[in-house]
Amino acid sequence: MNKLLKLTALASLIFAAQSFAQDHSHHDMHKNQTANDHSNHTAMNAAEVSHSESVYQLNATWNTHKNSELKLSELEGQPVILSMIYGSCTTACPVLVHDVKRLYSKLHEDTKQQVKLVMVSFDTDRDTPEALADYVKQYKLNNDNWLFLNGSEQDIRTLATVLGVRYRQRPDGDFDHSNLITILDKQGLIVERIEGLSQPMEEPAEIVNKLAKQ
Amino acid sequence: MVKWLGVAGVLLSPLVLADPVLINGGTFEPPVLLDKERLSIEMDSFMLDATPVTNQEFLEFVIEQPQWQRDNIAALFHDGNYLKHWDDNTGFAKGKENEPVTYVSWFAAREYCSAQGGRLPGLNEWEYASVKYRQQQNISDDDYARNLFAWYSQPHSAKQQTVDPNADQLMHMHDRVNEWVDDYQLLLTNGDDVDLLSGSCGDGARFMSSFSNANYATFFRYQSRSDYAPQSATSTMGFRCAYDLENDHE
Repeated sequence: MNKLLKLTALASLIFAAQSFAQDHSHHDMHKNQTANDHSNHTAMNAAEVSHSESVYQLNATWNTHKNSELKLSELEGQPVILSMIYGSCTTACPVLVHDVKRLYSKLHEDTKQQVKLVMVSFDTDRDTPEALADYVKQYKLNNDNWLFLNGSEQDIRTLATVLGVRYRQRPDGDFDHSNLITILDKQGLIVERIEGLSQPMEEPAEIVNKLAKQ
Repeated sequence: MVKWLGVAGVLLSPLVLADPVLINGGTFEPPVLLDKERLSIEMDSFMLDATPVTNQEFLEFVIEQPQWQRDNIAALFHDGNYLKHWDDNTGFAKGKENEPVTYVSWFAAREYCSAQGGRLPGLNEWEYASVKYRQQQNISDDDYARNLFAWYSQPHSAKQQTVDPNADQLMHMHDRVNEWVDDYQLLLTNGDDVDLLSGSCGDGARFMSSFSNANYATFFRYQSRSDYAPQSATSTMGFRCAYDLENDHE
């Protein structure tokens, strides 16, 4: 239960909401589910993925929060920690960002120099580079490690599918999605996937440290 | 060996492509509910190809975009079976021009549609069109169920039948190939919190309570979609494209 002590206040709130939100269900079988008191947002389980093909075969061009263009293949040569979120999301997404931050904070200093933390938005319309820049500012993520990306609907769906992130836009404009952090090696192969919120980060940090040395 | 030479064929028999057909918007009652409170969905109008995409049409695409030819496709985008029934990168056996293209992965299907200025239909769009098609063709629920189960029992003979590339109305929604939809992964994926048919504990999706042969046939199609990975290229899976209406601005 040490893990629980390490959760942040925010994560604990979400966690608590999750437990309370179970009362609509007779069973308690489903992991990775988050809900809050005013909606039924459901975390979708991640799909299986290929671990033998580089994600960098994707050719899409993304817009960064710094208003520059980027192809994921430009990230080749360093370990990458990747997750998909959307900016107006107030439930799971800040926790995912925080989880990536926690993972980063556990890395060796020389690994920290290398690694890129890439957050790709589901929300092509609302998460413009400007909106993402605001998000970065708000959460004080303004250093060279972080990259927040906006892309076309087509490219978002393709990347999500390659990562095994399932999502759908709800009628209210918000998204149901898998809560997944993906670790890519220097060539863009999927090495590790962390599913669910507020997971322990010691092992993933060791993996990234190893990747950085390869 | 009669080989069909793709490039020459294009020159000799230019295709007159049929226009996609208009699917008028309206109310759709999905047979599987993703939102418990939402029993019906208001669908926008959209255009849909009248028939599944054919070998000939797909050939023209891969000639235009060689990176989607069999030997060139990125390994990430298929399972090794991509277009394996073709003779080579740009040719297939004579007589197969108007058969629905199969052995195409979800990635390739999307790219084809994108190149036509379209996209894969959404799951709800495809199923909504299927309902419209049954109404247009006056297909009774029993006939629909019978046809669908007949197809599922012998999918390989069905796909070898041709389609009319100049069809001016919606055709072959249930009797040629299974068809990719853009968001097929939303439903009934391995180990998901959707409980097929038991209804005991599914949080996200539930089946409508009214059961009939037609519903059951439709459920069968929903479930069959969950057997695929986006890299899957199989002998029974094809697709058709959807298009937004031109003046469909937000």
